[in-house]
Amino acid sequence: MTSFFVNGKPVHVDVDPSTPLLWVLRDSLGLTGTKFGCGMALCGACTVHLEGKAIRSCVAPVSRAEGKHVTTIEGLSADLTHPLQKAWIDLDVPQCGYCQSGQIMSAAVLLAEIPKPTDKDIDEAMGGNICRCGTYSRIRQAIHRAAELSGERRTR
Amino acid sequence: MSAPAMVGRREFLKTGAAVGGGLLVSLYVPVASASEGKAAVENQVALNAFVRIGADDSVTVISSHSEMGQGIYTSLPMLLNEELEADWSKVRVEAAPVDKAYNHPIWGIQGTGGSTTSPAEWERYRKMGALARTMLVTAAAQQWKVDAASCQVEKGVVVHRATGRRATYGSLANAAARLTPPAEVKLKDAKSFTLIGKPTRRLDTPSKTNGSAQFGLDVSLPGMLTAVVARPPVFGGKVAKVDASEALKVRGVKAVEQVESGVAVIA
Repeated sequence: MTSFFVNGKPVHVDVDPSTPLLWVLRDSLGLTGTKFGCGMALCGACTVHLEGKAIRSCVAPVSRAEGKHVTTIEGLSADLTHPLQKAWIDLDVPQCGYCQSGQIMSAAVLLAEIPKPTDKDIDEAMGGNICRCGTYSRIRQAIHRAAELSGERRTR
Repeated sequence: MSAPAMVGRREFLKTGAAVGGGLLVSLYVPVASASEGKAAVENQVALNAFVRIGADDSVTVISSHSEMGQGIYTSLPMLLNEELEADWSKVRVEAAPVDKAYNHPIWGIQGTGGSTTSPAEWERYRKMGALARTMLVTAAAQQWKVDAASCQVEKGVVVHRATGRRATYGSLANAAARLTPPAEVKLKDAKSFTLIGKPTRRLDTPSKTNGSAQFGLDVSLPGMLTAVVARPPVFGGKVAKVDASEALKVRGVKAVEQVESGVAVIA
């Protein structure tokens, strides 16, 4: 039995401790917003937060989460009010959308660490998240926009 | 997907022009569409296979094609609503079930590809919107005992100016659904378009921003198993032999099968 927290709620799962966290989230807990892309930490589609850090859940054994806090795209906000979600909607970022949960989760960690990132900061932080549709330029714009929105929220 | 390969883009344009004048239109509502997602269709009335009107004035457009990032979950509802003239902020979109009503107008099978959706559906979706609008207006005119031609539509509300009467689509949908659809409807001239050709926010962005959009991988059915294929490391590689005994000992593994492309593990 592995016990940890997902989006603030305690969960207990009875699976092999080597099971990748991705499949526990998707299959055991029904949180399908996190996607399987490559299974080898090469594409970033499965990105979630473990104790506030971005990790590739497809290669992280669930045992790594024992007693810790995991945040998935479903936990970012209950109502699309996270600055990144607002910016993503403002700029109509997604096309097919498959990589976007991972993109947003990586961007969330970037903004937590660097509230006003430069293009270079964004390119470095987001380099591991692949988008086959090629939405990179809009992702970059949306991260800048989210940084502005967060700034407005802080100064209010 | 052999059909898309058979129709090249140039050839398609010729075929499209030839069939564009007389599309067969499906007016019946497939059973699957009415019964799928029961909670979703509660308090909604289907006026044809492509549009449902809710008691809350919501408009659900059924997309007969797959959204793969090309934007048709927005452009098909735009086509339909150009003629339906509902309030765009109340328009949503839903994937069609499997049914011949949703066959590709040119290929004759249900499918999406080759950049054909918008040109192939250009007439059908507008026609479906126009049929639905005509039925809603007729329903209002019958209730008010006035000539339908003296009624107008304003953002999902039928209006009879002379008597000041108004009725929302949601309040008219049940009566409209009991009417026989008109045999012919006149579509707008391009110069009267208010939605087509205007920059419009995508309807699928919110669901792709909070993880709720459903992709093929996210579908789960009762008793469903998952098969994963171990493929050869080189092109053209063939399976030499399979010893499944160790794999079958792994918890959850139900079967190991040799398939053309390698070895499938089913769990």
